[in-house]
Amino acid sequence: MAKGILDVAGLENVRIFIGEVAEEEEEWEPMGPHPKPGITTLRNWDFKLLQRYKPFYAPFCDMCCLCTYGKCDLSGNKKGACGIRMDAQQGRIVLLACLIGCTAHAGHARHLLHDLIRKFGRDAPIDFGPEIAVEAPLTRLITGIRPKTIGDMEEVLDYIEEQIVQLSDALHTGQEGSFLDFESKALHMGMLDSLAKEVADIIQIAAYKLPSSHPGGGPDVPLVEVGLGTVDTSKPVILVIGHNVPPAADIADYLMEHGLEDAVELAGICCTAHDTTRYYPKAKIVCALGRQLRAIRLGIADVIVVDEQCIRADIVELAQKTFTPVIATNDKALHGLEDRTYDEPDKVVKDLVEGKVPGVLILDPERVGEVAVKTAMQIAPKRRAMKIIMDDEEFQRWVRLCYQCGNCTLACPNGLRIGSAMAKAATGDTKPLAELFDLCVGCGRCEQVCKRHIPIVDVITKAAYPYVRQERGKARVGRGPVWDTEIRDVGAPIVLGTIPGVIAIIGCGNYPNGTRDAYLITKEFADRNYIVVLTGCMAIDAALWKDEEGRGVYETHHGRFDAGGVINIGSCVSNAHIHGACIKIASIYARRNLRGNYEEIADYILNRVGACGVAWGAMSQKAASIATGFNRLGVPAVVGPHGTKYRRAYLGRPDIEDDWKIIDARDGTEYRFEPAPQHLLVACETVEEALPMIAKLCFRPSDTDRGRSIKLTHYIDLHEKYLGCLPPDWHLFVRTATDLPIARREELLKRLEDEHGWKIDWERKRILEGPMRPYDPSFDPTNLPRLIRKKKE
Amino acid sequence: MACEPFDIANVPGPAALGVVATPEAMASVVSSARRPLLVVGSEILRDDFYLDVAIEIGRKGIPIAATGHSIKGFVQKGYTDNVHIINLHELTNCLRDPEWRGLDGGGSYDVVIFFGILYYYASQMLSCIRNFCVRPLMRAISIDRYFHPNAAMSFPNFRPKDEDKYKEMLKKFVENIRR
Repeated sequence: MAKGILDVAGLENVRIFIGEVAEEEEEWEPMGPHPKPGITTLRNWDFKLLQRYKPFYAPFCDMCCLCTYGKCDLSGNKKGACGIRMDAQQGRIVLLACLIGCTAHAGHARHLLHDLIRKFGRDAPIDFGPEIAVEAPLTRLITGIRPKTIGDMEEVLDYIEEQIVQLSDALHTGQEGSFLDFESKALHMGMLDSLAKEVADIIQIAAYKLPSSHPGGGPDVPLVEVGLGTVDTSKPVILVIGHNVPPAADIADYLMEHGLEDAVELAGICCTAHDTTRYYPKAKIVCALGRQLRAIRLGIADVIVVDEQCIRADIVELAQKTFTPVIATNDKALHGLEDRTYDEPDKVVKDLVEGKVPGVLILDPERVGEVAVKTAMQIAPKRRAMKIIMDDEEFQRWVRLCYQCGNCTLACPNGLRIGSAMAKAATGDTKPLAELFDLCVGCGRCEQVCKRHIPIVDVITKAAYPYVRQERGKARVGRGPVWDTEIRDVGAPIVLGTIPGVIAIIGCGNYPNGTRDAYLITKEFADRNYIVVLTGCMAIDAALWKDEEGRGVYETHHGRFDAGGVINIGSCVSNAHIHGACIKIASIYARRNLRGNYEEIADYILNRVGACGVAWGAMSQKAASIATGFNRLGVPAVVGPHGTKYRRAYLGRPDIEDDWKIIDARDGTEYRFEPAPQHLLVACETVEEALPMIAKLCFRPSDTDRGRSIKLTHYIDLHEKYLGCLPPDWHLFVRTATDLPIARREELLKRLEDEHGWKIDWERKRILEGPMRPYDPSFDPTNLPRLIRKKKE
Repeated sequence: MACEPFDIANVPGPAALGVVATPEAMASVVSSARRPLLVVGSEILRDDFYLDVAIEIGRKGIPIAATGHSIKGFVQKGYTDNVHIINLHELTNCLRDPEWRGLDGGGSYDVVIFFGILYYYASQMLSCIRNFCVRPLMRAISIDRYFHPNAAMSFPNFRPKDEDKYKEMLKKFVENIRR
């Protein structure tokens, strides 16, 4: 029996509508205790996390302005008119941020699913090739569903959307009042966010046959060009911006169907760029979000096609200044343009080329390709005759106009001293101004406050232009899911600690000190045999820098999910595969059941999988929900200094002994243990501080002595390299002498004796007294009493 | 007296009325503190002068929390006696706990002095102190070259060309600390 309408013969007025057909499900794994968890299902797990990693609040604003009782002044943790205190209000705002982030991913997933079902059908199979059997780890874990076709994801999205509505309800005045419960809800929202991302990426991989474990996928994905200097502007250029790939895929299809691959450049910014190269490797990645304003102002695009998320709100106004028409393709970002979806394509092209309209809406992705390509090809010769980049004379006029009032510095998120660089440029020294190019996060706030109306962003870009034209790097195409066979190889070394960690470098480009930090973090950990996975903007920015031999970090390191690998997982939604890799370690290596078993798997990951997220330039609400989703699954994250503006961190206190108790699941014995990991979410001021912090957050209670020794070696070495001394807390991670770095064992034993009063048996080089717990290679750590196998007599 | 925040839109609310204070007034607050703490960030490494200011304050018996990667400078100068390495998030988290044992086991602090810290990171931590370190009251002052609305007292914003004026104010601040 199939879905549809059944007419009953002989009964003219009777029609039977058959909606869902319940099929007997193949038994693939026993259902765990928490399928499709609701708001309170995992609250106990959240509270365990929040007890150890207490929410820390740094209000960005003292007031609540959400109802007409207000504004209410909550400073000093006062109550507002509705009774809410400052701490709960901060938790509420965090939940709101996670809501915005989660709905961006879930809305994207739903939109994508509609389009893909229409184009490929509900029954398009989810088949990721011979190396991937666990195709959707988050979906299995959270909902208990094993999807076989993209249509199976409708039920998953139904669950997500229902939960989002319930969580959003809690934000209303007169609902939740406890900061801890707001945090539990934020963690739930973060988990939903991770699930929505998985849905979005899985269906696009399945439908568009993006890299998976079929030939050419995984470690074998090709390298693509990255950088503002990679676009060949002698050809017509189409620039796609956003996160939703169907319109860009349609452009690529049109180019291929008409043999125009070498005649037209298809380039992208942000995650659409990642996903376009996954579909069409001839595409180029121009830049990450941080350079969007400058890429548009440079006028390299003959047509701009936007879909959704991370698009500048003033995109049409900006594009008009460079005579670039805009095609908007998504109902979430319409930008005031007229809907021309079903107009004759040639008529739309004519209007765009002749400048009769600044842009159009084309809401059917399958109608975008023809209009975009024809427009680019027809308008390119006209635009080449126009002057877009300022000339030297104009540059000099602007820099001389600056009188160093300092307003731009006060408006700049990074407080860049633009005025003094302008003054130098006025004397002929453009170097200081050019150096600001990479430090600038590309927001343009400086121009809003300039009393002389100097186009500051353009002036900086002009000063850096020779460098900009040379900006050419290489990144691997986003490879999507980590293979099950790779997990089989690295599961044991990760859990035992001999691969010292998995570093997930993710998120936006709101860096404190330029894009070079993205490269430095990647290189430092990959060189030390950590597994480095990247997504989104940081995956792009890490590709912009090169070593002394002119090779980028994707070129010097392999692309396997193994020690020393540098792996571009893909776009924002591909972050789900990083969760997926951690989950698969529990499933494939440790043989834990996944199905509806979130709490147990998160407990496993928190105690055993030395993974750490790094969102060094986190800016968006999506980054907030992404990090919170990682946190609920037991993965800590380090953010850059701008991340303090998210208002909330999850910080552990090693000095509070009661916070660091863990159970041995073998017999229920409770131990005090080392702070491993010490935090779930923490900000560092500089990259020098962040590097040892990231290494520290890879310690886990399950580390073997060999693994702990390797992790401690890197923690100490990074601290000495970047901070100039031993870390003050290194001794906390020592359980036995064999935990110590081999090359420095004797020296460190001496320090333990002299500085910490530990007792050492020097003859046998053993620690007799001192560590907070003994080392036991069979230790089976858990935070969940229900997992104790046999209670101690 | 107040002035524009260094980040112009950083206007937290009606109670954030940090004042621009003279170095003498700030030194007086520090001099009369029961347990002051100097919190330094990585910006002190931009010029030896600032590192020397921090060390001079440390030599007056005020313990130093070295956040960011500022510890590198103290190690290079060979001054580490009362310098404690700690992340600024971690430190502020401890400061809001009146039961905290302090960096040296002597208990929490009543006055904290922010110096050489990235503006917006400092501002957020000062906001936490102002909002949550209220019983007992902890006073946070900033001797950075920025006006901080979340600090009880701070200097005005200094432009690069006024660096010497800023240095003079720091000298006066240090000279007037009596411990």
